[in-house]
Amino acid sequence: MGEVRRHKRHSEGALHIGASTPRADAYAKVTGAEKFAADYYSSDMVWAGVKRGAAPHGVIKGIFTDEACKAPGVIAVLTHRDIRGSNRQGVVRKDQPVLADKKVRHCGDAVALVLAEDRETLLRALDLIRLDLEALPGVFDVEEALKDGAPLVHEDNAGGNTLLEAHIQTGDGLTAFERCDEVIEGRFETPWQEHAYLETEVGWAQQQNDGKVVIVASTQTPFRDRAEVAEAIGLDLEQVRVIAPYTGGAFGGKDGITVQTLLALAALHSNGRPVKMWWEREESFIAGTKRHPTRLYYRLGAKGDGVLHALAARLYFDTGPYDHLGGVVMTLALEHAGGAYRIPHALLDAWCVYTNNPIGGAFRAFGVTQVTAAMEQMMDMLAARLDMDPLELRLKNALTRGEKTCVGVTLTGSTGLVECLERVERHPLRTERYAWKAAAGPFKRRGVGIAALMHAAGYGTVVPDYANAKIELTPEGKIRIYCGVVDMGQGNASANAQIAGSILNQNMDSMELVLPDTDRTLPSGSASASRCTYTFGNALIGAAEILKNRILQKAADLLMAPSTDDLTLAPGKVVNRATGAQIPLSRLGRLMAESERTAISHFRAPVAKDRLDVTDELRLHGLGHAVISYGAHLAAVEVDEITGAVEVVSYLSATDCGRALNPQIYEQQIHGGICQGLGFALFEDFRVEQGTVKSPDLATYIIPTAPDTPNMESLPVELHEPTGPFGLKGVGEIATNGPAPAVANALADACGIRMFRLPMTPERVLLALRGRETR
Amino acid sequence: MTQVLLPRALDELWDFLEEDPNTAVYSGGTDLLVNLRGGRINPSRLACLERIEEIRGVRDAGAAVFIGAATTHTHLLENSLVSSEFPVLTKAIRVLASPAIRNMGTIGGNIVNASPAGDTLPPLYALDAEVEIVSRKEAKRMPVSDFIVGPGRVRLGANEIVKGVWIRKAPEFNVRHFEKVGLRKSQACAVASLAAALSLSEGGKIERARLAWGSVGPTVVRSAEVEEALLGRELEIQMLAEVARLVERAVSPIDDVRASAQYRRIVAGRLLLRLAESGCKN
Ligand SMILES: Cc1cc2nc3c(=O)[nH]c(=O)nc-3n(C[C@H](O)[C@H](O)[C@H](O)COP(=O)(O)OP(=O)(O)OC[C@H]3O[C@@H](n4cnc5c(N)ncnc54)[C@H](O)[C@@H]3O)c2cc1C
Repeated sequence: MGEVRRHKRHSEGALHIGASTPRADAYAKVTGAEKFAADYYSSDMVWAGVKRGAAPHGVIKGIFTDEACKAPGVIAVLTHRDIRGSNRQGVVRKDQPVLADKKVRHCGDAVALVLAEDRETLLRALDLIRLDLEALPGVFDVEEALKDGAPLVHEDNAGGNTLLEAHIQTGDGLTAFERCDEVIEGRFETPWQEHAYLETEVGWAQQQNDGKVVIVASTQTPFRDRAEVAEAIGLDLEQVRVIAPYTGGAFGGKDGITVQTLLALAALHSNGRPVKMWWEREESFIAGTKRHPTRLYYRLGAKGDGVLHALAARLYFDTGPYDHLGGVVMTLALEHAGGAYRIPHALLDAWCVYTNNPIGGAFRAFGVTQVTAAMEQMMDMLAARLDMDPLELRLKNALTRGEKTCVGVTLTGSTGLVECLERVERHPLRTERYAWKAAAGPFKRRGVGIAALMHAAGYGTVVPDYANAKIELTPEGKIRIYCGVVDMGQGNASANAQIAGSILNQNMDSMELVLPDTDRTLPSGSASASRCTYTFGNALIGAAEILKNRILQKAADLLMAPSTDDLTLAPGKVVNRATGAQIPLSRLGRLMAESERTAISHFRAPVAKDRLDVTDELRLHGLGHAVISYGAHLAAVEVDEITGAVEVVSYLSATDCGRALNPQIYEQQIHGGICQGLGFALFEDFRVEQGTVKSPDLATYIIPTAPDTPNMESLPVELHEPTGPFGLKGVGEIATNGPAPAVANALADACGIRMFRLPMTPERVLLALRGRETR
Repeated sequence: MTQVLLPRALDELWDFLEEDPNTAVYSGGTDLLVNLRGGRINPSRLACLERIEEIRGVRDAGAAVFIGAATTHTHLLENSLVSSEFPVLTKAIRVLASPAIRNMGTIGGNIVNASPAGDTLPPLYALDAEVEIVSRKEAKRMPVSDFIVGPGRVRLGANEIVKGVWIRKAPEFNVRHFEKVGLRKSQACAVASLAAALSLSEGGKIERARLAWGSVGPTVVRSAEVEEALLGRELEIQMLAEVARLVERAVSPIDDVRASAQYRRIVAGRLLLRLAESGCKN
């Protein structure tokens, strides 16, 4: 526990910004040495597990635990009655019970917690618990849920089944449609998307002799977790410590509490023994959060020359029974609803709605994926109507620096959409598309589609997006970085080493990383929102510069140099260029007091300064971002007319995410985002009927495999972002937004059908093709 | 904890099976372990067949080829006798599961599991394969289409196992085609599949036709009506589209989470169209 990651097997030479340095975590992960939360075991460990209600909506009349309690090997069976705290968790609105008390609101609600000697005993004991549930009518459709008389998910919610609603009007709103020459309409549906990480929700916890509960969890949010856990089960903040190793995948699914509170509760009842909880895949599918399904109504109006004039959109987000991050997701979607285009008049309405479906939550790109799927298809539909080239239409309307988005946010940072589109425009996949399409074989149709993207980073105007970086020269002469933000696999811990290493002119072997731990590292916000390297990196630059000055000052004193002017840091030492004298960092580390060789720096991200005419509530939920990445994607697809299968043959992306600190990690982020986006576009169909999951496992929920993944080219468009660390912007999410619209547009280009519902499965495509034939 | 037995010869296996009738046999375990985890079976112990030499490997028996039940899919993919005599089987195995599962899973397991989506089954039906069943006392053979009686149901008595399959060489077939429609390219359970073996005359006329569809009925579907309708015709799109209508009537698919019955029915017919590409070639 509380290890320090050291990195062997790296080539010599100081770290540099812009170099494809191998990831610091690569060797340990590839060899299996890395210890994930799932790898924590101890000899006297107790297994904890949850009995779930298994009904979408019902009143809890009784929870019968006697038989389970009596079963040999069972240590404790707990219900809501055993919780001393608020028994509520949540990020914005705390509406989710740790253990259900009055009602169950979806099939995955936890009702009882069992502690057992081993996993088999645990499973048997869970079966012995009986629940008496009085079924209530459920609500499973967003628009039905808003009607009068719909069953209420939370009787005490003032807005009925509305968690959050928002209305934004800019310019003349709807009346502007009267002045449009062309108006296009579309109704789009997007499904749940399951994160399907390799490492399902897991953690390990133990109560120490002093009463403190230590939790090791696969989480993106250790500091927020600590506060939530403490409040929910009635502990002081200081009595909870959360340690966050590298996660085995998270993608937003661990942006908040999964096992943490349950584990802490279990640890209070295990007589000091360590406790482990690890959700089965099926359990993760039922109880974990998913990308929010949406229903999106779009109306887009333009002048005859293709200049966009008006946009109206109604956005419905299904958050399931709990807020989780639903309101925030909806708000980010709203901000991106009109894309990176100049649209002077808009009326945007959005509702985030409670239902008895699975819980909607954060998923890479946080609502923007859904609205981009709709808006970017609208752009192609408009281009077709105007008989214009889709790329030209986008170029014509693309926002540039200093202009306002359709919700009224001024783009103050680097704004590279035009550059991204131009890179795609010049690429052979575009310039040679007609020849490629014409070469399709028998029963094949080929098409090429594009999509333009924007993705804002950070928390928005109210919630402070800050980080506190701490860095230390150890007595051994190593540079130790206390990472405040979780590395869920995206490589930000490595980026931290690269940033500090380049400032201090050290190589990877000298770098040590302390991963997030509420007792050792400093609060720096969540691993989410494309903010990790942007926000923490900025803080880390400050800390590394302070440390550098301190090291040089100390070296100047010891070397009796008149000033630090002639001193320079080299790998493992400080060198006096004038005299050739050297002093190793290990010596400096021993001679400096702890307070001298430790530096801390704070950074808070800028936010949009526009005075938007929106509610405070909407601002609290994040409206108004200042740091925005851009992209343009192109998909070349081949459609099989016999089966309806859509194969993505080649995929191109150009991304303005500022400076790529590490081109290899940049590319991995883009590739990963595209693959998840392709899953969303073509494969992943999370089925829920009347609140019950019908695709309960990876045999029925289809995620793409390596052979389904196209050749991907990812061009960095490295415009300098003035506020970013070394000119960087966020790259973690944006690529996820491109595939659905790019592939849908390519499919329309190939065979003239438009899919208003995702995913575009072979069955849906074939039936659409036949519909077109018979029309 | 479940006891796992590793017999090296059939005689040893019979002893184990007689000792405890609740012993389940398995080879790769790629179906059995899924069922075990799902709680659908509850054997008292397991006997693994993969070390029994008599039921492994491919043997040339002159007019026919014997494939041992415990032969892995990977082994069959790499076997030149199989790929030259029965390319339709090789084509099916190439798209079965993924490399890791093919390294473990066996043809015997695929047959006894008797899933309508089992990928080796349409080729075995199209090739009129026979299953050899053995017990301590006797050995017998029956057509695969008799052996499999329903989804997951086979004619296998207590203390009997499948020793292997016999496939007659049939050099007269010069078009050997297999296509699986799944929801992705690898690790995909068939939504519909077609195995076809045709003999085309010099002039391109169909002289013999054997077709078998997977995943569009409780067991693999063959249709005498469809096969007859093809005889004497040439492989061209118009004709295949007409016969596709007959196919739609011959199959009896169901709706499930992977696809609707309607889609399976349409695709079962349309898969014929791909044969037009084969023309006179293999
Ligand atoms: C991830 C995954 C993907 C898959 N994808 C596919 C796919 O694409 N296509 C496909 O067809 N299948 C697929 N399968 C199913 C499976 O891999 C195949 O059916 C495989 O051929 C089974 O062989 P096995 O040796 O592993 O069978 P086992 O699991 O060992 O046995 C299966 C059944 O047959 C019985 N059995 C096995 N051998 C004998 C014998 N000689 N005599 C009597 N009974 C016997 C066992 O008792 C058991 O009931 C997949 C499975 C998994 C886990």
